[in-house]
Amino acid sequence: MLTSVFIAAISLALFWMAAFTLWWQMHAWRTPEVLASTRFHRPDGGESLSFSLLLPARHEQAVLDHTIQRLLESSHTDFEIIVIVGHDDPETTAVACDAAERDPRVRVVVDTHEKKNKPKAMNTALPHCRGDVVGVFDAEDQVHPELLAHVDHAFRTTGADVVQGGVQLINFHSSWYSLRNCLEYFFWFRSRLHLHAQKGFIPLGGNTVFVRTDVLREADGWDPECLAEDCDLGVRLSSVGKKVVVAYDSDMVTKEETPGSLMSLLKQRTRWNQGFLQVYRKKDWKQLPGFGQRLLARYTLMTPFMQAFTGLVIPLNVAIALFMDVPVGIAFITFLPAVTALVTFVFELVGLHDFGRQYGLRVRFVHYVKLVVGGPFYQVLLAGAAVRAVWREQRGRNDWELTTHVGAHLNTAEATREDVPA
Amino acid sequence: MTSTLPAVTTPTVPAQRKPAPDPGSAGRTTPPRRLRSSRPDLLLCGLLLVAILVVQGWNIADYPTLSDDEGTYLAQAWAVQEGKGLAHYTYWYDHPPFGWIQIALLTWIPSLISPESMTVGSMRGIMLVVSGTSAVLVYVLGRRLALPRWAAGLGMVLFGLSPLSVVLQREIFLDNLAVMWTLLAFTLAASPSRHLWHHFGAGIAAATAVLTKETMLVILPALLVTLWRHSHRDTRKFAVTGAITACALIGFSYPLFALLKGELLPGGGHVSLWDGVKYQMTRPGSGFILDQGSGSWGVFQSWLYYDRVLPLGGLAGALLLLATWRWSVTARALAGPALTVAILAALALRPNGYLPAMYVIQALPFLALVLAGGTASVAHGVLRRWRTEGEKRFLTGGRYALAAVLAIAAGAYVVPKWYDGDRTAVTLDANAPYKAASKWLSSEVENPEDTRVLVDDALWLDLVHAGYRPGLGVIWFYKADLDPAVTKTMPGGWKDIDYVVASPTVRRDAVDLPNVKAAIQHSKPVAVFGTGEDRIEIRQIQATSGGAR
Repeated sequence: MLTSVFIAAISLALFWMAAFTLWWQMHAWRTPEVLASTRFHRPDGGESLSFSLLLPARHEQAVLDHTIQRLLESSHTDFEIIVIVGHDDPETTAVACDAAERDPRVRVVVDTHEKKNKPKAMNTALPHCRGDVVGVFDAEDQVHPELLAHVDHAFRTTGADVVQGGVQLINFHSSWYSLRNCLEYFFWFRSRLHLHAQKGFIPLGGNTVFVRTDVLREADGWDPECLAEDCDLGVRLSSVGKKVVVAYDSDMVTKEETPGSLMSLLKQRTRWNQGFLQVYRKKDWKQLPGFGQRLLARYTLMTPFMQAFTGLVIPLNVAIALFMDVPVGIAFITFLPAVTALVTFVFELVGLHDFGRQYGLRVRFVHYVKLVVGGPFYQVLLAGAAVRAVWREQRGRNDWELTTHVGAHLNTAEATREDVPA
Repeated sequence: MTSTLPAVTTPTVPAQRKPAPDPGSAGRTTPPRRLRSSRPDLLLCGLLLVAILVVQGWNIADYPTLSDDEGTYLAQAWAVQEGKGLAHYTYWYDHPPFGWIQIALLTWIPSLISPESMTVGSMRGIMLVVSGTSAVLVYVLGRRLALPRWAAGLGMVLFGLSPLSVVLQREIFLDNLAVMWTLLAFTLAASPSRHLWHHFGAGIAAATAVLTKETMLVILPALLVTLWRHSHRDTRKFAVTGAITACALIGFSYPLFALLKGELLPGGGHVSLWDGVKYQMTRPGSGFILDQGSGSWGVFQSWLYYDRVLPLGGLAGALLLLATWRWSVTARALAGPALTVAILAALALRPNGYLPAMYVIQALPFLALVLAGGTASVAHGVLRRWRTEGEKRFLTGGRYALAAVLAIAAGAYVVPKWYDGDRTAVTLDANAPYKAASKWLSSEVENPEDTRVLVDDALWLDLVHAGYRPGLGVIWFYKADLDPAVTKTMPGGWKDIDYVVASPTVRRDAVDLPNVKAAIQHSKPVAVFGTGEDRIEIRQIQATSGGAR
């Protein structure tokens, strides 16, 4: 009897968690109107804002120049690019200075911190920004030339303080985990983030994010000690009531690549989880006015850990239902989370199809198979990263584990390099 | 304050997107975005609902004659309430159990207040909840399928007040519950907001309908057509796969249930889902429906006896709509209901299929909608087609005159017939013999707890309340031949029985049931209620005529 009650309680909790996550994940596709609203509006041709685009680069001489050239192709007329390099990184500095000589819109700022990380680099550059809006990109990003015009329009028409554009991992064919990783990004930027914007609590992404310069300075820039400074900035800004607008257009997203190895994915994920945990403990989200908002914040920041938990418990639950002698009614309840997980699976398959359509990529049958078969293993990976994050946070290890990129989304680069984490 | 780009709060779709297509059409009344806040709709629907509830509810316990099936389902609902499992005899996967679980829920509070009221006649009241809900759903669905207000109201009237509907919807049939869920599924599929989770809900409702009465399975393609038509190109793949997934997952819970009980596949000493399905699939056919003299013909005629307008008119309406698919907006809007009617008609036309009397129940709402839609189409043709701005006044007058003539003619044909049919339904007492038999067995038998009676399912609960032992004291008559758990308690066959209540059903089925037949032969009527074919005889077994007991 007690076992039954216990199992039923756990199952129901899991069910609600899975159901809410699914609900939010599918936000953008709820109605055709919602889907249409997630896009950028077409710019009307007017431009009134100036941009300072931050481009932190670390040991990224291989791709940096390409990124800068592509940014310079932007159709917007008023922007500057501030490349931030480390004083201990002469190769990247050379590439950056080269670009600065060729085009006056490019400037170079040298970060002299002893221990380097991305938020410190960006804070170094913040006083040098002349634009009305600060935008952040990573050194390996492929940015669409029309993006700035769209962002300009979005700022003007919505009165936003922050505009978050879409970021999309694109190399789904590279490996089984990159497939899942791409799809995670797809659901996050295509759908879930819009829900957060609507609800007034949003963890921002690491790049293609634009903040009004005065708002950013008022908030003292990024938190140099936080491992998820992007998430933290979003939480701090939305907690004090700044207006955040999210827009996603498949031809306007910033294209990126998945980490080059399973280990670097694990490290990246560990860092994010640890960052989320730090943001949670900073308690800025407690200033949110609404109870629902605070609940959403609490839940979102805890998600990695719940995810780990569900990934492990759901199979256990099903096993109990099938092999242990529990009443049929209880057995049914234990299947509820599994049912929700199955629905999520199906929507992921459809999402993969949609992803292929949106980006004109050919998704083959084998990819769908990989998506399904890889699901449980990916869950194990996520659980591992979550456990690792808790452990590292407990031990007070806050250093940055870097992510390696191989440039798989660029047709040119074959160089292996390290960079500032995505 | 944070928000997504503004279209979430403003209804306009951004300019670079194609505007979402309107499921209705220009030039017709488009349904209001929210029916809930449309006063004329609420008023019309509410008035019709009251009329339907009055006609269906008045005299509900006494007409029509108690059916054996009603007794079966209510008794099983009683077993669920009493915690005796899914049935008081072994549950053998004849139907998915969800139907009578719902009946158990619906009758739960009334039976708490007054346990003896748990009999077929008095519990028919719960069917008002079901048919009332269904009638409202017919109206809402009609509006969502772009019918004008009057036509949606007409559909609701056809569905709720046809004498055929009144007779069938009063009875405690699983089909009535399944129809409610199916209508809900269609209504959600045609949601004007095209919300992903409404479509998902349509899948859940459809699965519930199938788990209530498995025959609803055949309607699912028509539901899919409706869903497809009412989803938007950009979100369709999520909506459709979501609905299918929901439907499949809920539907699989039934085999899963059997699996958990170890009864999925046939095996020694236990019932199985496999055998249950096999039984339903191989039921002996009742002949071709158009072959005079076949069982199916008889069933068909029994429907037409109550009402010709709804079944035949609806069928004609469906054919009209399917034929005018290319030109008529209404035809395309009503594709789902028309297809449903077509599927059900095609199945009924199988050369030697099994056609039960309640088969038509699942078609009723769709016949009503299609007939209402056909009427709307004709009305549109008469009043609006080829009408120009500067049409001459006498022509316009002629249009209205023609419409009035048609309406009056239709009314003159239908109203008297329906009036007669519905008057019978609210006045006739068809169950006096049953009530008298129940009373006799409750008062005239001395030791009910030690008495064994073969009885049809409709009377069974009455006798349980009168003190007979459920299952082996008061016995569903056919269990005496078909259920090993019962036959083994009567080694002497008919000699171990004290009474047989020979109702029309018992007399009809006894032909194939040796124990029941023998019991009737070796018994003498001690009380007879009613006359002729419909009489109910209480027959006492004559121990002496067949030797010592």
